[in-house]
Amino acid sequence: MKDRGVILRIGINAAVFILLEVAALVMLQHNGPLQGIWISRGVHSFYAAVWGGADNVKSYFSLRKQNEALAEENFRLSQLVRTYREELGRPAGISDTIGPYRYIMANAVKVSNNKHHNYIVIDKGSEDGVAELSGIITSSGVVGIVDAIGKHYSYGRSFRNSDMVVSARIGREGPAGELMWDGMSSNGAVLREIPHHIRLHPGDTVYTSGFSAIFPPDIPLGVTGEATVVNGSTYNIDVTLFMDFSSVRYVTVVDNVDRDVISGLEEQDEN
Amino acid sequence: MKTNRNNALIYILLVVAQILICNFINLGQYLMLSILPVMVLCLPLTIPAAGLMLISAVCGLAVDWLAEGILGLNMLAIVPVAFIRNMVVNLLFGKDHTERGDGFSIRKNGFVRVSVAILICQAVFLTIYVIADGAGTRPFLFNLIEVGVSLVCGYIISLPIVNMLTSDGK
Repeated sequence: MKDRGVILRIGINAAVFILLEVAALVMLQHNGPLQGIWISRGVHSFYAAVWGGADNVKSYFSLRKQNEALAEENFRLSQLVRTYREELGRPAGISDTIGPYRYIMANAVKVSNNKHHNYIVIDKGSEDGVAELSGIITSSGVVGIVDAIGKHYSYGRSFRNSDMVVSARIGREGPAGELMWDGMSSNGAVLREIPHHIRLHPGDTVYTSGFSAIFPPDIPLGVTGEATVVNGSTYNIDVTLFMDFSSVRYVTVVDNVDRDVISGLEEQDEN
Repeated sequence: MKTNRNNALIYILLVVAQILICNFINLGQYLMLSILPVMVLCLPLTIPAAGLMLISAVCGLAVDWLAEGILGLNMLAIVPVAFIRNMVVNLLFGKDHTERGDGFSIRKNGFVRVSVAILICQAVFLTIYVIADGAGTRPFLFNLIEVGVSLVCGYIISLPIVNMLTSDGK
């Protein structure tokens, strides 16, 4: 009860203080020409700060929507580029399937980064057309491979997984090898089995080779670094990945529609 | 009853004195003499903060009106002094004074504490007054010198007024 009285008294004092100061400022504004300009300037600055602040807050909270819209647009434009490439400059409308690959836009729902066997969960499943062993990519590189699918979600093995290997090549037409996570750094990988006779230049870009039936060719993955000779016959080359796995949010699922045919042929050959 | 009437009369006379200082004593551009802060400081402690602010606003407005100054300038500077008066008294002389409504005095509370109270009130008043008077057109150093010089002179003329208005002088 006593506390309430104290709070009320403080409230009344503050109200009287603000009222009297505002009255004084209004009088000052109307009676002193210099003070009038000074106070107007101050009031305008205050309004600008308040409106600017409110606008910043509003923009901040709409960032997610804007990001989603941009990701959608980015996906559409990427599809258009792929279509142009495929059709040699004669696009025939935008489709989700370009050449042998079908592309589906998705959001990463969960990404693990601190384990030895990292994974990714995306918000697209079998009902959205995602199939097992589809690739998960972004414009910065390979994210992982779909391992299990639900109706509306899919679970994928992240590239940052000790048993995941991607077929990659140095440059668009250079030698191909196996790219795998180095198991230590967040953006480090090792490109293995590059023949010893190849002349290497640190800083070369590494692309997907397209030799696997999962990832399309020519997705930039990273740049080469130091090389070490292994068993006197091949190089192991350090690669710094472009992909920042800690900020993966919007991804594209890529599915090779001819994968079954390729697998069938491989099985026939093995038999 | 008689004491209250005397107090009121002294306060009115001091407001008149402040008006006369503003109207007829020109001490140069670096000096602004004001006894309003010390008057507010010495108003009875029984008056609640809201009442104190209203009284000081009326005094400030009267000085502005009758001293051909800019209407609202003294009021703008003196109301914050009234707002912090009880806090200053509590901080320097203890809460007992405010709760009992006892007045303070140099003899009871010491010269240093009363001086600090005067300096705080004068500093708050002068800072707001000088900044609002300059309206952003004067350099910072000019304002600083004006506040410093006026603070020293204001403190000196405040001491006899404190003596006159507080319990020692009566």
